[in-house]
Amino acid sequence: MKAAIRHLMRNRRRSILTLCAVLIPIYFLILMFGFTNSVIQDMFESATRFDTGHMQIRAVEPPGSGSALPLINDPSDALDILAEMEAIEWFTVRLDLPALASVDDRTRTVFLRGVVPEEIDPVSNMADRMVEGDFLSSERDGVIVGEELADLLELGVGDDMVLLSAHPDASLGAIRAPIVGIFNAHEAAIGRMIVYSNLGTARRLARSETAATAIVLRLNGVRGSQDTHVMEATADALRAQLPDSYVVQGWLELLPILSGYLDVLVPMLVIMAVVFFGLGALVVVNTLYLSVMERTREIGLILSLGSSRIRVMGMILAEAGLITAAGAFYGVVLGIGIILIIEAFGGIPLWGQMAAYMREMGITPVLHMSITAWQVLLSAGAMSIVAMMAAWFPAWKASRLEPMEAMRHVE
Amino acid sequence: MSNNPLIQTVDLKKTYVTEALETPALRGVNVELHKGEFTAVAGPSGSGKSTLLHLLGGLDRPSEGDILLEGTAMSQLSKDQLAKLRLTNIGFVFQAYNLIPVLTVLENTAFVLELQGVVKSERIKRARKILNELGIEEYADQYPNRISGGQQQRVAVARAVVGEPSIVLADEPTANLDTAMSMELIDLMKRLNSDKGATFFFATHDSRLLDRVNRLITLVDGEVADDDVRTAS
Repeated sequence: MKAAIRHLMRNRRRSILTLCAVLIPIYFLILMFGFTNSVIQDMFESATRFDTGHMQIRAVEPPGSGSALPLINDPSDALDILAEMEAIEWFTVRLDLPALASVDDRTRTVFLRGVVPEEIDPVSNMADRMVEGDFLSSERDGVIVGEELADLLELGVGDDMVLLSAHPDASLGAIRAPIVGIFNAHEAAIGRMIVYSNLGTARRLARSETAATAIVLRLNGVRGSQDTHVMEATADALRAQLPDSYVVQGWLELLPILSGYLDVLVPMLVIMAVVFFGLGALVVVNTLYLSVMERTREIGLILSLGSSRIRVMGMILAEAGLITAAGAFYGVVLGIGIILIIEAFGGIPLWGQMAAYMREMGITPVLHMSITAWQVLLSAGAMSIVAMMAAWFPAWKASRLEPMEAMRHVE
Repeated sequence: MSNNPLIQTVDLKKTYVTEALETPALRGVNVELHKGEFTAVAGPSGSGKSTLLHLLGGLDRPSEGDILLEGTAMSQLSKDQLAKLRLTNIGFVFQAYNLIPVLTVLENTAFVLELQGVVKSERIKRARKILNELGIEEYADQYPNRISGGQQQRVAVARAVVGEPSIVLADEPTANLDTAMSMELIDLMKRLNSDKGATFFFATHDSRLLDRVNRLITLVDGEVADDDVRTAS
């Protein structure tokens, strides 16, 4: 081992190059993990906080009904079960209805979302987005609309809107509701499409006093997407207790676009890792092979003195192991160090089209980074294995040298 | 000296074959070397001295014939077995010192013992002892590039004998040394031969060394031209 260290010190420039070949892929992979963790966490936060909750209970769609959001006629049996479950932190009932919104001769297709305003806070920041008028109240009839819809229908706070429901599970309903507030949706499509009312107003439109389309849940002990096992365990427990007329859906199931995006992230990471590791491995092979070539006479001498070929292999692999361990260590230190520094400064704010795109995806345009111990181990471990596999070839070549031919070798 | 030869060559032939031509280096050499001998093989360049030395050391394979080392036919041994035989039975001193540059004098000397699996404390003790006997213990912690050529060749001799091999094979050991250093080295090897009974076999043209051997084998064109046993000084 001492000799291996001295060999590495003898040609420092090459040793540093080999070290960098191990260090850089680990460093980049840790940063990539840090970035994707941030993206996934942002997606999770945005989706579960402002839209889906951690999971939802919905009605099983009757065959041939044509409704993507089948009505739950009376969710009280499910609510009773939820009230008894310790894993559930919070839940609320929601009623979503496709509707036509009409003001004078202007009509738009909208989506009426009936919520319990006093309970909505854990899964929505709508109350904070009001730009005019007031937020909803269970005590007062009325709807709030996005700025975009208000512009399209040329209406303001205090005006009335006629809503016509066409939910396939409910009879045709129509209500006149006053506009009590206008909100900023951040996303134009949502601002044009979504109309919020209290649950009572939505139920009047559905002509049912108990109807719902979803029970939205948040769970105890779920900090992020890494706690999938907690969510799955709770979903299983719910499925076991709920009648067959209900279906339990997780946040990703409810957001297939995000799910597809996440499905692309992992292969992308794998491709990048393969490219980084491949380049690192090439440098390791190249530098170690050069080292073996330069030391051909020395290796010939060692073999002529009676060293076994396995020992010669071990000698080269020991050098590779040392440089790999050092590269892995510094790669991890550098990767984690950069993440800690970035986080100490509050993350990297993004700008331009990227920021706009992230906003549309429901992601905060600030690059926060985080990494798990498992990801650090995976990055360092995988590159170390690749580097040692790359070192195998020069080590094997060294062990196959013929002593006399090697000793006659002229550099 | 025992009557059983330490090494015996049996009609030993070696031909180097390239695409263009075949070059015979040894053409049927029959030699016996006995324990405790201080023997040199001499001859003009290309006579086959180094080839004979390399074959005796198991560093190369003969084209025909065989070598018996203490009764063991070397042709029957695999590469790994030959390596083990070199490790335990043969010490080498090469022309160009051939010390391992990243090891100190002490570590270079103890290297063979390390290969033999001798425990660290024991190999350090034995290496220091031999360095002391050869008068170079003061350089024990120096790296090879910090000492003179003569001192490096002494270290090479120390490394060759520290494992107590059956025979030390030395290929032109004085070729790179000046007269004073050559004489010192020859004295040293002669002392190891007389005091410890170490068996030496040299390939050389150095007349100073040839004058001191007690047997001189002369090779000409790959054949033994003369085998002169004498009383050396």
